Amino acid sequence: MRPAAAARHVWTASLTAATSLLAVRASATQTTGTVDLGVSTVRYDGFLPSGAGSLTPALTWRRPGAAVTARGTYLRFESGRRSLQGLIAASLFTPSSVLSHRWRGELSLSAGGSSYADFASFWHATGEARLQFVAPGRGAWIGGTGGRTSYGRAPRPVAVAGIGVWARRSWVTVALSATRSIIGDTAYSDVGSTIHASRGRFDLDGSLAARVSSRGAGHGVYGEASTTVTLGERTALFASGGRYPTDPVSGSVAGRYASAGLRLRTALLRPRASRDPQPLRRSPANGDGGADVTARLDVQPASEGTVRVVVHAPAEATVEVAGDFTDWRPVALRRAGEDVWEGVLRIPSGVHRVNVRIDGGRWTAPAGTAHAEDEFGGEVGIVAVP
Amino acid sequence: MTTAVTRTALPLLAALLVAGRATAQQTDPRLERLDAATRPTVAALVDSARTAFLPTEPLVQRALEGATKRASGDLIVAAVRRLAVDLGHARDALGSTASAAELTAGAAALRAGASPTILAQLRETRREALTMPLAVLADLVASGVPVDSAAAAVLALAARVRDAELVEFRRAVERDIALGAPPAAATAAAATAADVRVNAGARQQRPGRP
Repeated sequence: MRPAAAARHVWTASLTAATSLLAVRASATQTTGTVDLGVSTVRYDGFLPSGAGSLTPALTWRRPGAAVTARGTYLRFESGRRSLQGLIAASLFTPSSVLSHRWRGELSLSAGGSSYADFASFWHATGEARLQFVAPGRGAWIGGTGGRTSYGRAPRPVAVAGIGVWARRSWVTVALSATRSIIGDTAYSDVGSTIHASRGRFDLDGSLAARVSSRGAGHGVYGEASTTVTLGERTALFASGGRYPTDPVSGSVAGRYASAGLRLRTALLRPRASRDPQPLRRSPANGDGGADVTARLDVQPASEGTVRVVVHAPAEATVEVAGDFTDWRPVALRRAGEDVWEGVLRIPSGVHRVNVRIDGGRWTAPAGTAHAEDEFGGEVGIVAVP
Repeated sequence: MTTAVTRTALPLLAALLVAGRATAQQTDPRLERLDAATRPTVAALVDSARTAFLPTEPLVQRALEGATKRASGDLIVAAVRRLAVDLGHARDALGSTASAAELTAGAAALRAGASPTILAQLRETRREALTMPLAVLADLVASGVPVDSAAAAVLALAARVRDAELVEFRRAVERDIALGAPPAAATAAAATAADVRVNAGARQQRPGRP
């Protein structure tokens, strides 16, 4: 939120550091948490520019067809005043069996609040329903939003109707939308477009919109751009800036901003579900000796066409991998921790067959891969490297 | 005119035959790891594949896999022969322009139970490389997802998502299966989620405003 009092002209140079906190697994779900630390530059319309430091924790819970995100932001301005914002949002998508073929239903709920110093506060609670048509490379939606919002006085009703289309070509997605919003006695229409491009380490977003037919929410053309550059598995740089309009629902005041920062991620964002947690089966054609142990294989893209091969196994002395990327010659992995062995190999993109051998035992198909009969009386792991 | 063409074509054909024979006689040195009785048969299968313009590297790798696993010569020869047949079927379905990686993935999908019709539909649906969709398809079937369900999901996604999103889709299915979801249901749920992420992705990835 950008409360009116907080809307003291602020131009800030922004540097944000983000710290991922946790990655918790629950039944068929994935939960991730982050904390962003930083400073920002912003100039709200009609006020002087100012700088602000920020702390932004966020928590996301996701499962197929549903997601919930909770986010908070603490801003401290040059004046010493502070702003608190909080938002929780959830999306639920209908299963493909509910609607015919290419149609999907989406229900979103959003509730949030904000306060500036001791004298300005907002809250809102809205729900949105969308009907989405999804075809190869393109789609369209129509939706409506209803709810309430308040700015230190009696709540005002929120009603928004919208329609949009999108198209995707290769790594670029372009969307167009038009909405009409009525919040109490305030009304306005937004017509705009967004573009999202993702290639390699780079993610780019841009938006351009015009506010027209406005009563009490300003007019004009607005645009924002942002980019995220992934540096490694756990780090990324981002920068963003632009001009955005007043949002009477959440209480944000129109302004310009620029920001840049560092985002830290954890490697444990994805659940490490073992596809085959049972002890590996003995294979009569796979050699002799060795105990049955459960090994799990992870392949993680590394730099310059290489792949980090990580095997989790309670080995005593050696862990070896062999596959069509080693000419089926055993390659010994180095110990990287307790029950963790790893190596960096050059593996081209594609489908590969792989086996793992623990302490000179049998060649086995590790968990974390699809298992197939190897036609030699045993099993082989099939792994896809993107 | 006919004589002139013949005069030009015959030496060229002869040269090609000589070159082809010379090539055929060059056995891949890696096949030295096979026993003496198995090596000539595998080498002949590799040469036949080369003549048919099929990729030979997968065949060599399959033989080496057998050698590393100390399989008998008969098993190695049978596996290489079967793979050569699968590669041929994959090319029939995917077309003569299919890459070696696509043919290898296609052969794996066929071996997993996918039909040639599904491979052909994938070729029609997706302009980009098919290696990853085919890999995901084979992977899902190997994970216990019914072929029809796996094919429907991959066909629906292949036209509009990138390889990385297909990998994420596969991981989502894998995760839910590991956590107890029926494979077909896990596939349908993940496909639905992937559908809507195509549209919603831009909104979620943007850095927040101050």
